[in-house]
Amino acid sequence: MKWITARRRHPLAGYVVVILALAFVGVGYAFVAPSADRAQAQTVAADAPDVDLREGRQIFTESCASCHGPQGAGTETGPDLTNVGAASVDFQVSTGRMPSMNPDAQMPRRPTPFTQEEIDNLAAYVATFGEGPAVPTNVPATAPQRSDFESEEEYEAARETYDAAYEEYIAGGDTEAGMKLYLANCAHCHSWSGAGGALTDGRWAPELHEASPRQLYEAMLTGPGAMPLFNDTTLTPDEKQDLIGYVKDLQAEPNAGGVFALDRIGQVAEGFVGWTVGITLIVACAIWITAKQRAHD
Amino acid sequence: MSDTPAPKSLRAVGNFIDDRFHLAKTGEKNLRKVFPNHWSFMLGEIALYSFIILLLTGVFLTLWFKPSMTEIVYDGSYERLNGVLMSEAYASTLHITFDVRGGLLMRQIHHWAALIFVASMTIHMLRVFFTGAFRKPREINWTIGAIILLLSFVEGLFGYSLPDDLPSGMGVRILQGVILSIPVIGTYVMMFLFGGEFPGEDIIPRLYMLHILLIPGILLALIVAHFMILWHQKHTQYPGTGRTEKKVVGTPMYPAFAVKAGGFFFFTFAVIVGLSAFVQINPIHLFGPFTPTSITSGLQPDWYMGFMEGALRIFPNWFDFNIAGYAVPVAVLVPGLGSLGLLAVALIAWPWIEQWITRDREHHNVADRPRNAPTRTALGVAASVVYGLLWLAGSNDIISETFSINLYLTTWIFRVGVIVGPVVAFIVTKRICLGLQRRDRETLEHGYESGTIEQLPSGEFIEVHKTSSPETVHVLRSKRPVPRIDVEATDEEGVESPEARSVMGRLRNRLAHWYTKDNISFEGVEPHSGHHLHHGHATAGAEQEPANTH
Amino acid sequence: MTDNNNLNGAGAGAEGRDRVIGTPTADGDTLVSGTEESAASSQQRHIGPYPAVETHPRTEEQQRKGERSAALWFLVAFVSGVGFLVSYFLFPPAADGAPSIAHPATAQLANMAMGGTLALSLFAIGAGMTVWARQVMPHYEVSTPYDELPSSPKEKSSFSDFFMRGAHESGFTKRPLMRRTLIAAMLPLGLAPVVLLRDTGPLPGDRLKHTMWESGMRMVVEGTDREIRATDLDRVGGMISALPKAPHEGEHGHGLTLNEQAKAVILLIKMDEFGPDMTEQQRSWTADGIVAYSKICTHVGCPAALYERTTHRILCPCHQSTFDAANGAKVVFGPAHRPLPQLPLRVDDEGYLVAAGDFSSAVGPTFWDAEKGD
Repeated sequence: MKWITARRRHPLAGYVVVILALAFVGVGYAFVAPSADRAQAQTVAADAPDVDLREGRQIFTESCASCHGPQGAGTETGPDLTNVGAASVDFQVSTGRMPSMNPDAQMPRRPTPFTQEEIDNLAAYVATFGEGPAVPTNVPATAPQRSDFESEEEYEAARETYDAAYEEYIAGGDTEAGMKLYLANCAHCHSWSGAGGALTDGRWAPELHEASPRQLYEAMLTGPGAMPLFNDTTLTPDEKQDLIGYVKDLQAEPNAGGVFALDRIGQVAEGFVGWTVGITLIVACAIWITAKQRAHD
Repeated sequence: MSDTPAPKSLRAVGNFIDDRFHLAKTGEKNLRKVFPNHWSFMLGEIALYSFIILLLTGVFLTLWFKPSMTEIVYDGSYERLNGVLMSEAYASTLHITFDVRGGLLMRQIHHWAALIFVASMTIHMLRVFFTGAFRKPREINWTIGAIILLLSFVEGLFGYSLPDDLPSGMGVRILQGVILSIPVIGTYVMMFLFGGEFPGEDIIPRLYMLHILLIPGILLALIVAHFMILWHQKHTQYPGTGRTEKKVVGTPMYPAFAVKAGGFFFFTFAVIVGLSAFVQINPIHLFGPFTPTSITSGLQPDWYMGFMEGALRIFPNWFDFNIAGYAVPVAVLVPGLGSLGLLAVALIAWPWIEQWITRDREHHNVADRPRNAPTRTALGVAASVVYGLLWLAGSNDIISETFSINLYLTTWIFRVGVIVGPVVAFIVTKRICLGLQRRDRETLEHGYESGTIEQLPSGEFIEVHKTSSPETVHVLRSKRPVPRIDVEATDEEGVESPEARSVMGRLRNRLAHWYTKDNISFEGVEPHSGHHLHHGHATAGAEQEPANTH
Repeated sequence: MTDNNNLNGAGAGAEGRDRVIGTPTADGDTLVSGTEESAASSQQRHIGPYPAVETHPRTEEQQRKGERSAALWFLVAFVSGVGFLVSYFLFPPAADGAPSIAHPATAQLANMAMGGTLALSLFAIGAGMTVWARQVMPHYEVSTPYDELPSSPKEKSSFSDFFMRGAHESGFTKRPLMRRTLIAAMLPLGLAPVVLLRDTGPLPGDRLKHTMWESGMRMVVEGTDREIRATDLDRVGGMISALPKAPHEGEHGHGLTLNEQAKAVILLIKMDEFGPDMTEQQRSWTADGIVAYSKICTHVGCPAALYERTTHRILCPCHQSTFDAANGAKVVFGPAHRPLPQLPLRVDDEGYLVAAGDFSSAVGPTFWDAEKGD
C-alpha cells in the first residue's frame, strides 16, 4: 500500500524508486536468502555404502593432484591432505570451494561441478591417505534436486524423505544449549544470523544461509581456512545438533517486522535506510508543501 | 468588520476563555505570526513531530515493559525461545512483540522515529549552521538545540539498551568499559552507576528511569524553550525581494501555515509508520537474550552513536601510558569521552567563537548564503567530513566484508582519512565558495549568460548577457560587506592598541584575518553596470571585469 | 532594499482597517505577493484576514477542484483508518489453534496490514491537508516587522534603577552577615543530593581484580555443563568457550550469575607451538598445549573470541583489537591497552582441565589500577 501511496506523488515517484532500489541493493543482495538453503543442489545419496575408490582416485588425479601432490602430501600451492579425512573433502568439494582456481585466495561458496556420488568416492579415496574425521552421514546433507531424478514421483518421494529427516534433525536440538553454543563459539565470526563477517588480512567468515547441516557439521570437525576446530570431544554430536538446529531454525524464521529485513545486517543498514528512505521521503513532502505556487517573474 | 460572524457556540467558547485569560489581542497577534516559506525551514519540524511520535509510542510501550534484570525461564507464546533463560526485560519485550496486538508495530515505530528524530535534528542543525542562522540574536537557541541533540544521543543509547538483547547489552558493556577508563574515579563511577559489577541487576531499571522520565522531561522542557524562543524572535529568512533585517516575509500562521504544518506532521508520521510496517528494525527476538560472554560480528550501535564507535575502532593504542603503574588507556578515553566532549564544546561554543573572531555584534535576521561565508562553510564541511568518516569507520567490518577490503586496511584508511579528509574538504569547499562568489559578482555586474551568440560588425563573437530579474539581483546583493581586519592594526600614531598586543588579541586578529581574507567584496558593484550587457557597447574581449583581478 | 515592501496596492492596504496587531511600529503586516493576478479576480469579493484586493483567491473552479481532491484524500484516509481497525482485530494474539501474532509469519502479516493501513491513512490526511492549503486557500505572503530586540536605554535604566532600589530596600546588599549565613546555610543542602547517591553501589575495592577461579576448579563447555578433559581438545586448532564448573548448582540456570560469567569466561585454545614472546611463566600456565585466555577484551569489554587458527590471532569483533594467542595474547593491532589475562591451567588426576589459580591480571576493560597488584 505504501507503494501506491508513493506512486501517487508522481513528481517524486522516480526518486523514491531509485532510492529504495539503492537502499536495498546497496546493503544486501538477497533478503530472501534464509528460505533458499534447501534449494541448493545435490542428491542425498551420500550414505551409499559402496564407494568406488577407483573413480575417487581418478577424480583426485585429474582435479586435485596438481596442487596437493599425487599422494595428497601437499605441494607449494596446496596443503597436505594426509590427515584431513573424508569430512574435509566432502565439505570443501560439496560447497564448491575445491577444486580452487586460485590457491592464494579464500574461495567463496559456489555450485560444485561434481555429483554427490563422485564426491563420496573422492572423499573415500582421500581418507585412505591417513587418519581424519569421517563424513557425518547421519546428518542431513543438501536437499535432492529435481534434475537428478527421472520422474516427478521419484523426486517428490526423495524430497519428502529428505524434508522429514531435515525437520527431525533441526527439531531435535535443544534451543537454549544451541543458542548458548552458537553465540559463544560461532556468532563472533559468522554473526548472530549466520550472515558472516570480516576477518583479518582480507579473509572473511562466510555466511551460513546455504550451508546444509552436514556442511556445518563438517566445518566444525575440520576447521576450513582460519576457522578453529570443534571436534566431537569438544562439542559432542548432540551439542553440534543443538547448535546447527538453532542457527538453521533462526534462519528459516520469517521476519516478523516486515518483508524487508535488510539482509539482517542490523544497525548499519537501518541507519542507512533511515537516512536515504526516511529523511528523503519526509523532505520530499516538505518540498511539496512549500513549493512555490507561481513564478515571481 | 468580518462578513461571516463567528458562530454563536464558538463565540461562547472564545468569551469563556477571554473572560479568564484576556487573550483576544495576544491570540490574534500569534495567529498572525509570519513563517517564511522554504522546505529547509521545515527540517526542525520533522524533529518536533518525531519527538511527539516517540512520546506517544513510548507511553504505549511502558504499559507492558518490565525494567527488571531478574532472570526467568521464558514460557510465552514465542515458541522458538521457550525454555530459555532470560531477563524479565527481554521477556516483556517479547511479550510486547508477540502477544500485544500492534506491539511490534509500536516498537518499530518507536525505533524508526528515534533514528529519524536524531537524523532530522542533524540536518536541521546543518541548515542553521551553513546559513548562519545561529548568529545574534539566536545564539542561545542554537545552544539549546545543541544540548537537545547531545541529550538525544544519550537518550537513544539508553533506550537501545533496555530490551536486554545481545547487541543492546553489549552497548551497555561498552559504556561500562568507557566509564572504567576514566583515571582515578572510573571504577567508583562505574560501581555507583551499575550498583556493583557488570552487569548486576540495577542498570536496566536505572537506565529505564533516565530514559522514560528524566531525559525526556529535560528534552521536552528544552524543546518548548527552543520553540518559544523561535516564536518570540521570529524565523530567519533567505534573502529575497522585500525581505530585510527588519521585515520578515512569509505565510501567516493562521490559516495557511497551520494547515501546512499539520499536514506535515501527518506526512512525517506516515513515513515513519510506513518504514515500521515493512522494514524490520532491531529484531530483538532473533538476537537472543544478553549474555556477557557472547558476541556477534557486525555489532554496531544505532547510527547516531556511530561516530563514537568509529573513533573507538580507529584510535590506536600508541598514546596509552601508565603513571607509576596506574593505567591511562588514552585509546578509550579520547574516542569514548573526548569525541562526544569535543562535539559538545564545538557545537555549543561555535556562535560565540565566530562572534569573537569576526567582532560581529549585529542582529541578523536574513540568512547567509553559504557561499558568502566561505570560511564558515568550509569549516562546517570539514567537520562534517570528520564526523562522516568516523561514522563510516564505525561500520568498517561491514565495509570490509561487503567490499572485500582488508580489515586492517580499512582501519588505516580511516586513520589517515580523518586527518587528511577535513583539510582537503576545507580547501575544496572554500575554493568552490569563492568561485561561486566570483560568478555571483559577475552575474550582478553583467547579467546572466543568455546562451545567445552574436557576431559584432568587427567580426568578433560575443555571448549576449541579459538583465537578471529583480529577485535575483536582490539575492545577489544580499552579500554583506566584508570586514577587513588588519592584522598589524595601529592607531594614527603607529601604536598598536593594547588589545592587539596581548597574546589573545594577536590570535584574534590573525583568526579574523584568516576568516575573512579571501572573501570577495561586492562593494561598489552596481547591478548591470558591466560592459557587454548591451552588446553594442561591448568593444573589448568578454573577460575584463575587475572580479578577475583576484 | 527599503522597508517599503508594499509593492502593489499600497492604497488598497490603507483602507482604514486596524491591521497593526501587537506591533509597535506604524507599518503593520503588508502583503508582498499574491497580488499579480488579482486584477482578474478582484471582481470577486474575497473575505479574509487580509485586505481583499491584496490577496489572491483561487477561482471558484480551482477551489472546487481542490476541494474534490482533498476530499478524495480524506476519504482514502477514512477507509484505510477503518482498515487499520479491521486489521487489528483480524490477527488475534495467542489464540488456541488459530494463526496468531505469536507466530512470526502471522506477526509479519499483522504488522504490515496494520502499519500499511495506518501509514496510508496518515499520509492521506497529510496529502489532503496539503491540497487544501495549496489549492483552496488563497496564496499570499505577508511582510511583518521583526521585533526590535534590545529595549530602549530609558527602559533599561528604569529597570536597573528599580531593581537596585529593591535590592537596597531588602537589605540584601548592606547586611552581609545575613547574606553570608544564608549562603552558608545552602551549602550542606547542596551537597545532600550527591551524598544521597552514595548507596547506589558498593566501593570498588579490589573486587574488579579477582574472579571466581580458584586452583583446582574444573571447567565446563559454555552452554552445556560438560566438564572438559585435556584430551577433549586433541587436535591442534581446536577452540572452545568455557566457564568454571559451578560450585553451587541450581540457583541460576547453570549455577553461575551473569556477574560471575562476565569475569570468569575463558577461551581454551589448543596450539602446537608458542611464540618467542611467551614467557616461561606463561608457558608453565599451559597444559598439553592448551592455553586459556580471558574472553573479555581489555579495551572496553566485548568478548574477544574471534580466533583465527592459521594466524593465532584473537580478534575482538567490536573494535578489532587483535591479540596473538601464541605470544601471551599480546596486542598486535587495534586499540586495546594490554594483553588478555591468561588463566593458569593444569590437568588433574582424572584428566580434567583445572585452573591453577586466578587470572594473571585483572579481567575486562582496563581501569586505573588494573595493572597494580593488590
